[in-house]
Amino acid sequence: MVDFVQLVILGLLAGGVYVAVGVGFGLVWGVLNIVNLAHGALVVVGGYLTWQLFTTLHLDPFLTLPVDAVALFVFGYALQRGVINRIIRAPLLFTFLLTFGLNLIVVNLLLLIFGSDFRSVTPSYSGQGFEFGSIVIPYVPLISLGVAIALSASLAFVLNRTRTGLAINAIASDRDAAQLVGIDLRHAYAVTYGLGAACAGVAGGLIALIQAITPTAGEPYTLQAFVVVILGGLGRVSATVVGGLAFGLVEAFGQSIPGSGSVFANAIAFGLMVLVLVTRPQGLMGRLR
Amino acid sequence: MTVRRLALLAVAAVAVMACGGSGSGGPTTGSTIVLGAPLGLTGALTKESTLTQQGYNLWLDWINARGGILVNGVKHPVQIKYYDDTSNANQSAVLMQKLITEDKANFLLGPYGSAATATDAAIAEQNQIPMVEANGAAQSIFNQGYKYTFGVLSPANKYLQGVIDMAATLNPKPTTIAMLSADDNFSLEVANAINTYAPTKGMNVVLFKKYKNGATNLGAEVQAAKAANPDIVLNSGHLTEAIAINKAAKQQKLNAKIFAYSVGPSTPDFISALGADANFVYDGSQWTPQVKYTPAFYLTVAQYVAAYKAKYAGLGDPDYHVAESTAACLALQRAIENAGSLDPKKVRDALAALDVTVFFGQIKFDSRGINIYKPMVVEQIQSGVHHTVFPADIADAQPMYPTPAWDQR
Repeated sequence: MVDFVQLVILGLLAGGVYVAVGVGFGLVWGVLNIVNLAHGALVVVGGYLTWQLFTTLHLDPFLTLPVDAVALFVFGYALQRGVINRIIRAPLLFTFLLTFGLNLIVVNLLLLIFGSDFRSVTPSYSGQGFEFGSIVIPYVPLISLGVAIALSASLAFVLNRTRTGLAINAIASDRDAAQLVGIDLRHAYAVTYGLGAACAGVAGGLIALIQAITPTAGEPYTLQAFVVVILGGLGRVSATVVGGLAFGLVEAFGQSIPGSGSVFANAIAFGLMVLVLVTRPQGLMGRLR
Repeated sequence: MTVRRLALLAVAAVAVMACGGSGSGGPTTGSTIVLGAPLGLTGALTKESTLTQQGYNLWLDWINARGGILVNGVKHPVQIKYYDDTSNANQSAVLMQKLITEDKANFLLGPYGSAATATDAAIAEQNQIPMVEANGAAQSIFNQGYKYTFGVLSPANKYLQGVIDMAATLNPKPTTIAMLSADDNFSLEVANAINTYAPTKGMNVVLFKKYKNGATNLGAEVQAAKAANPDIVLNSGHLTEAIAINKAAKQQKLNAKIFAYSVGPSTPDFISALGADANFVYDGSQWTPQVKYTPAFYLTVAQYVAAYKAKYAGLGDPDYHVAESTAACLALQRAIENAGSLDPKKVRDALAALDVTVFFGQIKFDSRGINIYKPMVVEQIQSGVHHTVFPADIADAQPMYPTPAWDQR
């Protein structure tokens, strides 16, 4: 029983990272119809920013997260405005190609700047946590989960309560109608991508705290984001939160299968994704459009 | 017309003089020996591949400063031709073939990692060109009956055996082991060897857990290890996984008398990523800057460390990936010298007969082509510094044992 509770806790805490990785990816996919293959690279950029600020300025890693968000927003905005907007109406394959290329460029720039060393942020309180009997709740993943939820909530707020967010929603519903009522598409696209990149940046900061990063570490995160968004369902931030936590839980229980079970943890998660696609194509919580 | 022909003749004459002209006294300069090496200069194995390249280049500078490899009184300068295989084993094999057919490589140096070494070994065999490699320790490479692949490093099954040997000497003696292993060929060889070796030293593997190679989240595995309450926690995997396991162990209060990880702790990255949490961790290492071997040629261990620091300032001591890569070059050099020829078959035979000790240790190949004669050493990180703690005769520090609980550090 204790083991079961601990596993649930570990799964939910790991899910926090997946939520953070997933929300930005889901936003860009849902609104711009871009499966952003550079998402993982943007995550790693965020991780390096946090690492750099932590090692040179000795900032608390959680305080660097707003910096990650702002820096990645600016970068993402510029990227969409200057590059991706040019092919936004082209077939899906072109956006695949372009974002894949951007991924390679970002990764190799990181290699040039930071080298291929593995980096990780380990503050003094890393590894400490609450203990209830033999159940442990470590601080860093707990705060990370909180950050991921807060990030999702603020994204939902921006999308549903602000003028810019409503414009983004309008575009997601009907691009041409949105343009007809006077929404500046280029700007709104860029803001959307910027928001997605900002979320990726925050996710990267969290990942640098929990795991180790290297310029080429981004790829699995793109994949995880993809699964998380499909699990939860496209088009709603809350759905991605559910998807991320579900993914974390499935992974934890998959890994705890005795013997070589953990080898199949990923396969189990992907199997679940396929199952969801077959039985509920809109995702666990999604709205079908 | 005649003037042009005359000029051509003169140029040709000068060229002939320059290339093959026989000067008097001292060795003459022969053709350049081209060595080919595909490396993962981008992609997931960039870090280790860069270290491999450093090891190769360190020797390259040294040999060319001496005019090249001496073959029958003629010095042949050396060139190493690198290609980026993007850390992809199949791509590595394609480039290896290109190095042989297009770049006319005389001999081959290995790529980084067991996977790429395995695919490259097949290419070396097909073309009957010797490949000396330093970064593929999986025995599966050497169980194919290949005759042209030689590995200077200790094979995978030895990686963590040193830790078990050391543990058997400690008091109180640890008896239970939890093994977390990645599911790639190399890691499983390392891990499975412990399954059979530990009982001979009076220890038992009470938990054996496989996880997906490259996994980033190992919380559930660490939880399973905690439930097994072992004296020794072993990881047979890679640097990222070692870091993830160490972080999770602290978070989830997994305490053990020994934490030992096969690959990872020996690199400076492990300490810089984990800070004080890296302390007390053991690893099995091919080589450390503290070992004491008496070299037959090339540099002593101390000179080697100094040469590395001079060429790659600011990177600290060379780690074992660098040293073993240099050792591969030394094995090839000595075999070419012994063969007295650049003929691939003769050099292959000279490699098979090689028995020489260099700063890296003894280099001698068994009938399969792997070096089973050099021992592995055990390192421990103590106060942020690597120390060699086993075998005792080459150690520079005592093991700090047992590892204190996380909340008592």
